[in-house]
Amino acid sequence: MTQLFRNSLPQGGSTPAPLLPVPLSFERNWLQDLESKLDKGGPWGDWRLSRLAIQGEQSGLVTSFDELQCLKHLSGLSPLPHQLDTAHKVLFEMSGRAILADEVGLGKTIEAGLILKEYLVRGLVSKVLILVPASLVLQWVRELNSKFGISAVAQKKAYSWGNDIVVASMDTAKRDPHKELLLSQEFDMLIIDEAHKLKNKKSTNYLFVQQLRKKYCLLLTATPVQNDLGELFNLITLLKPGQLGNQGDFATNFVVDKRQPKNEVQLRGELSKVMIRNRRGEGPVNFTKRKVRNIPLTLSLEEKELYDGVTAFVKDQYQEAGGNLSSMLSLVTLQREVCSSRDAVFVTLVNLIKKLPADSPKRERMMGLLQTIRTVKTNTKAEKTMELIRQMNEKVIVFTEYRATQEYLLQYFREHGLQCVTYSGGMNRGKKDWMMDLFRGRAQVMIATEAGGEGINLQFCHHMINFDLPWNPMRVEQRIGRVHRLGQENDVVIYNLSTEGTIEEHILHLLHEKINMFEMVIGGLDVILERFEKKESLEKSLYKIVLEARSDEELRSELDQIGDTISELTHANLDESEVAP
Amino acid sequence: MLTPVEVRKQVMDYLEATECTILESSPLHVTVKLSPRADRMLTDRPYYWGFVERTGVDPETLSFSFVFDPEKYDELAAQAAAPAALPRGGAVRPAAGPLPGGIGTAGAADAEAGAEPGAAPAAAPGGVVPPGVSADPEDSILARYFGIVPQLPRIGPGMIRREDVTYGSKRLRQIWSAARDEGKCLQLFEDPGLRQRTTLFSAAYEPWLAVCYKVEMTCDLKREEMHFIAVSLTSGLIVPDFEARLASRELTPRLPENIHIQPSELSVTAGADRLEGYLTSKLALLDYTWAEEARERLRLELSIVDIYYEELLKEQDEEKRLGIEEQYNRRRKETTWQYEPQIAVSAVTYGLFHLRST
Repeated sequence: MTQLFRNSLPQGGSTPAPLLPVPLSFERNWLQDLESKLDKGGPWGDWRLSRLAIQGEQSGLVTSFDELQCLKHLSGLSPLPHQLDTAHKVLFEMSGRAILADEVGLGKTIEAGLILKEYLVRGLVSKVLILVPASLVLQWVRELNSKFGISAVAQKKAYSWGNDIVVASMDTAKRDPHKELLLSQEFDMLIIDEAHKLKNKKSTNYLFVQQLRKKYCLLLTATPVQNDLGELFNLITLLKPGQLGNQGDFATNFVVDKRQPKNEVQLRGELSKVMIRNRRGEGPVNFTKRKVRNIPLTLSLEEKELYDGVTAFVKDQYQEAGGNLSSMLSLVTLQREVCSSRDAVFVTLVNLIKKLPADSPKRERMMGLLQTIRTVKTNTKAEKTMELIRQMNEKVIVFTEYRATQEYLLQYFREHGLQCVTYSGGMNRGKKDWMMDLFRGRAQVMIATEAGGEGINLQFCHHMINFDLPWNPMRVEQRIGRVHRLGQENDVVIYNLSTEGTIEEHILHLLHEKINMFEMVIGGLDVILERFEKKESLEKSLYKIVLEARSDEELRSELDQIGDTISELTHANLDESEVAP
Repeated sequence: MLTPVEVRKQVMDYLEATECTILESSPLHVTVKLSPRADRMLTDRPYYWGFVERTGVDPETLSFSFVFDPEKYDELAAQAAAPAALPRGGAVRPAAGPLPGGIGTAGAADAEAGAEPGAAPAAAPGGVVPPGVSADPEDSILARYFGIVPQLPRIGPGMIRREDVTYGSKRLRQIWSAARDEGKCLQLFEDPGLRQRTTLFSAAYEPWLAVCYKVEMTCDLKREEMHFIAVSLTSGLIVPDFEARLASRELTPRLPENIHIQPSELSVTAGADRLEGYLTSKLALLDYTWAEEARERLRLELSIVDIYYEELLKEQDEEKRLGIEEQYNRRRKETTWQYEPQIAVSAVTYGLFHLRST
């Protein structure tokens, strides 16, 4: 062997390493570790474990720049084709900054989860902030953990921010001291749910998000353009300022008036670089069917008497008050409640009486109504509901508008040996979750007063009974949306109870025959309603009609008119090619 | 992606290497009582182990049933239990106990809301599972109410928790990372075999510095490579695929008898320099289109940002302008952060391998 000198071996060493076209850094902590172990004589690692570690790394190696890796890391989740397409597009075409604007119920959360998971698997993201409405925090945490194996935590105390992946409510995050803390950090990824709340560029939400330092960013919203194209511009500016040029360019290039875009093709092209919008009507997303069963009921004599009594009372009061609608709200409520249960009327009536001066002449009439309530011993609807539930012998959710009805039904069902739980808006989150768990697990029936925008997901149940109907179509849609959503494997059966010869019958006719809303699976109801309600809310229009109609015929024709207007708008909405790609 | 069979192999290797006690094993699952060593690494109970260390009590390690193929395993279990099985009632779960009479009324009594779920966690750490809480930690009421609930150690005999270990599961990731923690830094010797002990001449051993490098090529996307390379500290020779060279040899952590190790001519640091130099030259041969493309994207994005702010920066109001400028710089930095291509190299495992000279 030739004589060798330390650090001056033949070959190598002297030739400088070639320069790479990309900055290269070697992490060298291992060298210190090795040297200190050599000094101390150990302790040394286990060769078997070492090989295991290498195999582990090997199996998770990201071997390609442009292939989704996350799927192999996800067991028990099979994303739908459009969700995978979306994830693919956001990663490889949009470089991780995008507005996810799918219509409601297409699984934006799943898409965001896929994208996040992919970045985590690739090691491109470790610090993540997810801002959502307070009511959705735990749901996000749950989904990320259970569906994606992502260790997200809900922000509870100041120290929660120390975690790598935190889900917090926007309202908390934007306030001091949290705000300051968050602005001092850098986030590899920022996800914002219900991002349409960011469209006003002067709002604190907007300014806060603008200031956050973020690498990748996802904005989730089902309604990217609600009123005004300028809002869309603001949203995009948050994500990628300049993508649509500056405000002036945007206005001259793309806007005719607030709601009307011009150069649509071009705008659509630009938008598709930052926004993905999947729609319900298209693509391979198969929603199960909605089957509607209207159940006509005949009121018992006593019930009919009560109904007529209340109706006459309400009308008279309205006349007396000179058609002033605002003071009549509780009267309309009365009118609606009488279609639900005597308990509901009772509560409202008693409250009204309490407010009256002691010598009011109305008092006597109202006491009379209370007497009539006493005579009502049965509830036709409850009996029918009971019968329906017995027949279907499956899980079912019963919706009512009124707490009193809810409680009555709870009692009634329990007396008849049905296991049921309740669900209402006043419950706190924990209790709601608990009720949902019980419903999923052991109870056959859930009696709910609130469908809420926030996620109760009841895909495991495919029967719903509308014990009474909200007069606001959006609320009806929300109810249906609880069970008729992605993941529902059965056709959803919707039972509408309506008592013949009452206002309920007309409302059902309007919602079902005219708006066709129970079967409408294509979205856009919100848009249609918004256009309709430019002047006045639909609910209010209905109130007016109900109070003012002098005869049944008049009532019917007025309601028909509303129905026609809405169905016209629906068709217009369908024909119109919307801005979104 | 690993198949359940491969995952099983990985987990079994770990359990064996850490001397865990296998209680029961099938191709689909393994039931194991962890060794103290594995327990420390896997169960996340630092306080318990601190307590053991300080008081010197005999540690009680946890047991698990790791299921590698949950679907098949459940199928088999269902078949086994078939005679006793109840008719499957849709989504109805087996109830943990008789239905408490309060369920129906619980909903109505809104005023007491919160008391029920709130009371549950107090009971749980003691190891008592409140009735009605499902065994799946991610779907329990506790988890819903408190976000993720760390899996509570249930100490005591007979408490064997089932866990599905599939590719991508947290447990498997944890096992790998535990394996790395305990196995990254090595000093090993080739086992010379029995014959060497009785031979007259001592065998010459050559020291190799070997590193398993992970190369991460990053822009807004990422690709990775692994290179297990070694340099002889006596000759300076570099072997690119060192794993292949190791494949045919038995390795032992103990210095074998009747061998001698050739003196190193290279220090470990110098060896590391060589390895890095070699790897760099290898990397130089790669295709860097991805980096060019990323830079092109970066240029484009920056120009969009520049154009957008150009107008805004003409703002007359000094204070407003400063704000805009700050926003502009932040956005530029973010963009660079997002797209700028770079390569980072780290070591997965590393160490000295003393191999018989050839």
